[in-house]
Amino acid sequence: MTDKMKVTEKKKDFGLDTLREAGETLRLPTVTPAVPFPLETLVPQVRQQTPAVGQRATRPDGRLHGLGQTKYIDDLAFPGMLYAKIKRAGIASARIRSIDTRAAEAMPGVMAVLTGREIPVNSFGPSFQDQPVLADERVFHAGDGVAAVAALTEQIALEALDRIKVEYEPLPAVFDPLIAMQDDAPRVHPPKSNIYATKTIRKGDLEKGFAASDHIFEGRFCTQMVEHVPLEPHCSIAEWDPNGRVTIWSTLGRITLGRVDVARTLKLAVNRVRIIATIVCGNFGGKNEITQEPVLALLSKKTGRPVKGVFTRGEEFIATTTRHPFVMEYKTGVTREGRILARKVRLVLDGGAYCSWSETTLGKAAILSVGPYRIDNLLVEAFVVYTNKTMTGAMRGFGAPQVCYAYESHMDDIAAALKLDPLAIRLLNVFDEGSISPTGQVLHSVVVRQSLLQAAERFGWTETQP
Amino acid sequence: MKRRGRGIACMWYPIGFTVSANPSAATVKVNEDGTATVLTGTVETGQGSLTVLGQIAAEELGVATDDVHVVSADTDVTPMDTGAIASRTTYVTGNAIRLAAEKAKAILFEVAAPMLGVKPEQLEAKDRTIRVKGFPQRNLPIGEVANHAQAVKGQPAIGSASWNPPTVAMDPETGQGKPFSTYVYATQIAEVEVDDETGEVDVIRIVAAHDCGTAINPMLVEGQVEGGISMGIGFALQEEILFDAAGRQINPNLTNYIMPTSLDMPQIEIDIVDSYDPTGPFGAKGVGEPTSVPTAAAILNAIHDAVGVRITSLPATAEKVLAAIQAKNTHDLKRIAAR
Repeated sequence: MTDKMKVTEKKKDFGLDTLREAGETLRLPTVTPAVPFPLETLVPQVRQQTPAVGQRATRPDGRLHGLGQTKYIDDLAFPGMLYAKIKRAGIASARIRSIDTRAAEAMPGVMAVLTGREIPVNSFGPSFQDQPVLADERVFHAGDGVAAVAALTEQIALEALDRIKVEYEPLPAVFDPLIAMQDDAPRVHPPKSNIYATKTIRKGDLEKGFAASDHIFEGRFCTQMVEHVPLEPHCSIAEWDPNGRVTIWSTLGRITLGRVDVARTLKLAVNRVRIIATIVCGNFGGKNEITQEPVLALLSKKTGRPVKGVFTRGEEFIATTTRHPFVMEYKTGVTREGRILARKVRLVLDGGAYCSWSETTLGKAAILSVGPYRIDNLLVEAFVVYTNKTMTGAMRGFGAPQVCYAYESHMDDIAAALKLDPLAIRLLNVFDEGSISPTGQVLHSVVVRQSLLQAAERFGWTETQP
Repeated sequence: MKRRGRGIACMWYPIGFTVSANPSAATVKVNEDGTATVLTGTVETGQGSLTVLGQIAAEELGVATDDVHVVSADTDVTPMDTGAIASRTTYVTGNAIRLAAEKAKAILFEVAAPMLGVKPEQLEAKDRTIRVKGFPQRNLPIGEVANHAQAVKGQPAIGSASWNPPTVAMDPETGQGKPFSTYVYATQIAEVEVDDETGEVDVIRIVAAHDCGTAINPMLVEGQVEGGISMGIGFALQEEILFDAAGRQINPNLTNYIMPTSLDMPQIEIDIVDSYDPTGPFGAKGVGEPTSVPTAAAILNAIHDAVGVRITSLPATAEKVLAAIQAKNTHDLKRIAAR
């Protein structure tokens, strides 16, 4: 154990030998100590009981995790495998004048270099195909990949990235979604408007609802951009075989869609692409679309070797999707008893440089923004806007945590102004079995009231004294 | 001084895609000894979905969780699946697996009926046996039936099925429609301590009451709730990607992008709200995403309760909370002076 730890020990003298040794130790595949496995595996009783539903059954992968035997993609290695790295633009909006890869290609240990122009169909995306696999003509945000290298080691690949010279012509950029909505703002994807999707929900008569209200409250709330931060970064290995079939081991959470996207970008028949997702260590929405997979496949095709790509933590932040920042404006009309009669909501979503799962996020956020409340008169207007920032996409809750923060803060402000207990005002307004949703749907198995009462009881909630 | 506050937040959340088709397909194969293998195209991303899916297949076949092995996530081997997204796995993939298991079971019933001298409709699969309804003594071990079906009758018990949640498209002008087949509901209540001299917020306790329909595996539901709350705390108080004036991220690392750690976790108390959705497998809906939805709202309401300031932009960092407290104090002082 002790000699394996030496990599992490700090040494005062970083001689060449030390560095070389450290690199080699780091490249060694993880080898777990030899342990004999019993012929008969101990199975917890809970996994052997019937009926199965309702049992607190332990997970079959739990033992593997516990023993450190789970093979994540970075634990896999194939003979002759190469390591890929992607050069990031580092500029938010620019035209690419030229990419000179000659110095990188000439480096010993570099096996192949790839640029966007070599990708058969250089675009992808779940709703609109507005995202290049590697930027070729234009850079839309600073985390865009512009070239990729496959080399014998990660270190050589990284060094080769520095030797790739890219000439940019900077273009106007826009970072604030509210500014991006204006007519004279620079267009992120010209000639397309920056507002790339909208959603409207209308029910009842908003003006009548406000007119009948005793009080009208307004609130404005904003949320930030956050990352999924899965423990395991995006990681894939691609192996192109002589029959023109490509096998990709990947951290993708959606292999069915991933296969179609990879086939499309590579111009291959769908049955020539095989995607195997191993145990994925955390997704939270961030691994729902392809990222580097076509790049690795083409590098494997060029070199005839398996190619592995592992995103750094930095790349997780700058080159994968994030959660949409929201600007949310609420206007709500209530009776003096606290019953909500009308609500108007306006949402602006910062969509980043590409659509990704923004349309889905927009739709869910718009529907859910009203809250789990019976409101007869309402209007929701929601917009998602391109900016030259990291793309935003699917993330646990698709816009729901943002709007929940707004509608529940707003609710407490209303309760405070009317001197009502926060629990009481919710119980007065929440959905019940058979309530009609903002989109006119009759709801079933509705237990929001029960959840409020159960949580309040468990917490020991006592009514606020006015 | 440290001031305590409490905040409540409730939410609703849909299961599956907004209107668009998001089907799952599955195959269930009953082996010669009555154990079973499930093929699914979904991906285990740490949430324990394969355990839950195995439990659903086991329930339909009347066997135990450990009797079912789930093979997942290989496009050459497993049927299509829309994937681990939109809290849909238990509900949509679960329904597909239940239907596939039902088909495999129908073959077992067909083979077992003459062996037991009854009609297939009179049979049920329970406790690893195929038995006559209302007459449990009249039974055969499921392994014996499965082996007989394959080796004698030449009818291996294999079933395949797919399922897609029914929706109605939304009107483009008014948004009226049925975008989702079903929704889940939840409430979280947070108790926080706010230091009014530094603005630091400490989450002491969170009570979470979540609806997920039938909890196929209550332990995994609790795991999801705990994970969701940790994500919610980061969203509420700490995490934020910052950009420089040129649109480049300035904190793309875990040193300056502050995530909650185990030391930041409050005491968590979880209640699973009793509910049953007839459209889900054995009444189940889902729980993945909703667990992190109300956390930030509850914490921000608790901050308001503790120190009387409304933070209108996330995250509620110590700096932001302190600035709001100071602004409020100045405002309050002026009001006193004006009197």
